[in-house]
Amino acid sequence: MITMEKLKYERPVIRKMNTGLMNKFGTRTEFEPVKDIDGVPVKSLIRQFGSPLFVLSEKRIRRNYQSAVRAFNTRYPKVQFAWSYKTNYINAVCKVFHQEGSWAEVVSGFEYRKALGNGVPGEHIIFNGPDKKPGDLLLAVENNSLIHIDHFDELFLLLSLCKPLNRKPRVAIRVNMDTGVYPLWDRFGFNYENGQAWTAITRIMESGKLNLVGLHCHIGTFMLSTSAYAVAARKLCDLASRCKEQLQVAVQYLDLGGGFPSTNTLKGSYLPGIDTVPSVDDFAEVITTTILDYGFRPDELPLLILESGRVLIDDAGYLLGTVIANKRLSDGRRATILDFGVNTLFTSFWYEHKISPAQDFTHHTEDMVLYGPLCMNIDVVRENINLPLLEPGDHVVTHKVGAYNMTQWMQFISMRPAVVMIDQGGQPHVIRKAETLDYLQVPESMPDHLK
Amino acid sequence: MKKHAEYYLQATLNSYAIVFFSQNKTLAAIMLVVSFFNFHAGISALLAVVASLVMVTVSGFSKETAKTGLYTFNSMLLGIGFGTFFNFNQAYWIWLATALLTCIFLSVTLISLLGKYNLPVLSIPFILTFWLVLTGANSPINLGLGQQTSSLLFEWLTGGLGPITGLSSYLNGSGLPGYIGLFFRSVSSVLFQNNILAGILLSIGLLIHSRIGFSLLVTGFITSCLFNHYLRMYPDGISNYHLGANFMMVAASIGGFFLVPSWRSYIWAVFTVPVSFLMVSALGNILGAFDLPVFSMPFCIVTLGLLYFFLLRVHAVKLQLTPYQFYSPEKNLYQFLNVRERLQDLQYVKLTLPFMGSWAVSQGYDGGITHKGDWGKALDFVIRDADGKTYRSGGTLPEHFYCYNKPVLACADGTIEEVISYIDDNAIGHVNMVQNWGNTIIIRHAHGLYTKISHLKKNSAKVKPGDFVKRGDLLALCGNSGRSPEPHLHFQVQATPYIGAKTLEYPLAAFTRNGSYVNFGIPAEGDLLQPPELNYQVKKAFDFKPGYVATVSSAGTTETWEVFTDAYNHTYFFSKETNAVAYFINNDTKFYFTNFYGDKDSLLYLFYLSAYSINFSDHPATDFYPLNLGINRAVLWLQDIVSPFYSFIKLNYHSHAESGANGPTINTTAVSVVGSHNQAFLAAQIGIEDNRLAVVGITFKNRSIQLQWQSKELF
Repeated sequence: MITMEKLKYERPVIRKMNTGLMNKFGTRTEFEPVKDIDGVPVKSLIRQFGSPLFVLSEKRIRRNYQSAVRAFNTRYPKVQFAWSYKTNYINAVCKVFHQEGSWAEVVSGFEYRKALGNGVPGEHIIFNGPDKKPGDLLLAVENNSLIHIDHFDELFLLLSLCKPLNRKPRVAIRVNMDTGVYPLWDRFGFNYENGQAWTAITRIMESGKLNLVGLHCHIGTFMLSTSAYAVAARKLCDLASRCKEQLQVAVQYLDLGGGFPSTNTLKGSYLPGIDTVPSVDDFAEVITTTILDYGFRPDELPLLILESGRVLIDDAGYLLGTVIANKRLSDGRRATILDFGVNTLFTSFWYEHKISPAQDFTHHTEDMVLYGPLCMNIDVVRENINLPLLEPGDHVVTHKVGAYNMTQWMQFISMRPAVVMIDQGGQPHVIRKAETLDYLQVPESMPDHLK
Repeated sequence: MKKHAEYYLQATLNSYAIVFFSQNKTLAAIMLVVSFFNFHAGISALLAVVASLVMVTVSGFSKETAKTGLYTFNSMLLGIGFGTFFNFNQAYWIWLATALLTCIFLSVTLISLLGKYNLPVLSIPFILTFWLVLTGANSPINLGLGQQTSSLLFEWLTGGLGPITGLSSYLNGSGLPGYIGLFFRSVSSVLFQNNILAGILLSIGLLIHSRIGFSLLVTGFITSCLFNHYLRMYPDGISNYHLGANFMMVAASIGGFFLVPSWRSYIWAVFTVPVSFLMVSALGNILGAFDLPVFSMPFCIVTLGLLYFFLLRVHAVKLQLTPYQFYSPEKNLYQFLNVRERLQDLQYVKLTLPFMGSWAVSQGYDGGITHKGDWGKALDFVIRDADGKTYRSGGTLPEHFYCYNKPVLACADGTIEEVISYIDDNAIGHVNMVQNWGNTIIIRHAHGLYTKISHLKKNSAKVKPGDFVKRGDLLALCGNSGRSPEPHLHFQVQATPYIGAKTLEYPLAAFTRNGSYVNFGIPAEGDLLQPPELNYQVKKAFDFKPGYVATVSSAGTTETWEVFTDAYNHTYFFSKETNAVAYFINNDTKFYFTNFYGDKDSLLYLFYLSAYSINFSDHPATDFYPLNLGINRAVLWLQDIVSPFYSFIKLNYHSHAESGANGPTINTTAVSVVGSHNQAFLAAQIGIEDNRLAVVGITFKNRSIQLQWQSKELF
């Protein structure tokens, strides 16, 4: 006897027909279930590691890195990437990038120590950011790292720190500038247009205590215009040539920072990101031609450093989750409650994340709201999304979540989930365990009178 | 004063040793001593050499040449000849002086005359002069020269030197079995003697000088004796004079001196013996009419004839003439082997990859798709990702291909000869068979050396005919024009400036192949190529331009080294204190030493060993030293004997740059490999600070030395 799985019950809905006539094929949607990641079934991942669950594809990370390097080093002879730790500093992730040849770019003392711990040689660590503690600076000086000075007070601090030392720290300054993209990121570094940057450079040179080796800028994040990078590169080149002409210092590198967008869709954009954002190749073309055409002597052509984070890892990360419940809102809209919310998927504050069902579904779709599990009104994963109908216990896959989520996530009401990396052979490895109550309470201490 | 004395001493000794194609002082000293076995001959030879040297030097001939003994060794032979043939009397010294003048005159002129044909002068000046003297002495006019009583030919040395005489006559009388005794007597005949003791002493000297040379003398001897044994040309045995001065010398000069020793040169050495037989008997017959001995004329004629014969070859394929004379068959061989592998920088124009980043060879030489026949020696390049694909997003448009629109660079300095830039790029899968090369740029690098790069993007050319481009200048962008179904680059070397010219087999230089550095090589299909990323700190530290001066000190010793260029534009370090010289090449991606001359106790020698081969990129450099470096002398002597046929020693070198807090450090190790036995004999750390060499720590033969650097540039 042939047995057949019982068909799912879906509550009937009345829907306005928008386009086209009825035909014998019925209506179909463009949705496709995402049942596996790099060949590993979503079901088995959730069964094994729980839900929600972050999944990273090592293969994708490596391919992204290799293709970004290819975009630059087939156009420019001296290119170096430095992995932006704040984007995702789980050690296993960092190690993948370092294995591929990436340096480390850190913005705090603990990130700096993390990079050292990951085996990055001191001279391959770039120390950025406005908050470098004296102890961190000393450690960076000791390890001969590249210190990117953010403000005058930091410059003065560094000068006073290295007075008793018998070595010249290698430094660069961060420069901010008008690249035609607003708002200006002028809170970081020294301004180019008003001469602050040049003042900083001359201060450094006159001190005789510091070794000016590079110039750094980082003009913004999720930049959607390539031309801004042409302006930035040109202004850095101008500064470099001024250093050469007036101070007889050949700057060894230009660090154009990061800011390249991933193919996520920003909230409020009209078209999906995948169709609108420029590719790494587009940025590479603009940056490299600007520097190559500038007219450096071939033997003084500066090393080009890039600190990309997001574009290298965003699409290598997935967040798997499970439907908790469905309900109707007062206005009749369908609402689906998932087991992950904005505390876990921090980027849902600014992206309209693509979310796919992880199992087969019928051809009916409906506009709905996706809520997280928090007992907070702000916990909205998608305010409005058209999806096939999901049932409690169904799984979903959130795409392009590799950047910033695993560093900006919060333990709030629910704990932070496990992170799994699928290696190039299709083998999943836990690279960060799910948090537990014990872990959460480790730093707590109880005053005696409350015991 | 000291310099003068040194010069005369060295030139005098060389005048002796060079008779056996040597500059070995031990051999020279032995020859000098042996020449005094016949006191008359010995003193005449020594005086003749010194007088000639003074004359040549004062007259202003090249001191460098005079130092090698080249001008004066014929005078030495003349002195010995006079002393052997004539009695001391007043006329003797007058005629010796006269003959000497003639001999020097002949030496200088013949050296220049034959030099034009790259031929040596050998002992021709002596032979001609002595024929003159002999003919004069035999003429009715009385020159007053009294010939020694024994004969016109050779004197059996019996009288004179006390204890040595006893041993000498014992050896001559009975001692050694026939052929061995004959061998030593033959060796002694080169100094006009017929003396076993002299032969033994000379043989010891020759063995110290060269194992290969000695083995060739033995080869010549055995071949001659066998030849005579079967043909019975001389039923009483060959005279020791002809054996030594002609047959054995021919074998040694052809087999190991003028040719690089190999089994082929040994075959030629054997082959020269019958030719010399013919020459000796024929010349003997002719000259007999004039009562003149043939001396070593057969040797001269056969050697010169064969040399000229070899020189006329268009392609010296296997049998190689010695390119630079080190006056030692071993050195010649080891240097030749070393140089053949290492010095391609002097042989080829350095053509680097015409692109940036990592590209794959999609069709190599004689690839069979389009690289066929006369157009076979070409390379096609594409960019591939880790999955082996050349495109993304479907690959339906040229823009999807990784290589499309990428910069194409000049592979070497040159003048733009031809630019075609108006041909449309094809749609994917279509080819343009009419303008099959597509957009093309041709550069002229040297007379008869052009490179062509094709299938460029329409209107992307950044150069025009007549422009001068430097290596690495942007030429155009990669496209899909011509016979190109998908974007790729076509690169070829050609001898003529025309589009559609035949291809030329020519190596590319300074690239990495599948991750390891290649100095010169022809890439094969499937290879992943990338220009090496240079470490500019290392590059600057090893940028030794002429005028660079370094003061290098180590525990009490200080040497001043300066960089010079020689007449051939080759650069070398010269150590002022020790006169040591170390030649090097810097080809912009690599620094390496090519040769060292002089004092092996100098600091420069240690630097030569330590910095033997340095890559400016982070790729390890592997190299090997010439075997005559001689790490273990006993083993080396064994190797010397079989070296023309087989080599069982290797002296491997390895260096690798490592980044450090103050700058990069280059770690180098050297290992001697004998069979399966490895022994490290050198380890060095070359420290670089502020783009300059700072300190070199060397452990060599269990001795640790620290070289401290101070450099400045002279302008």
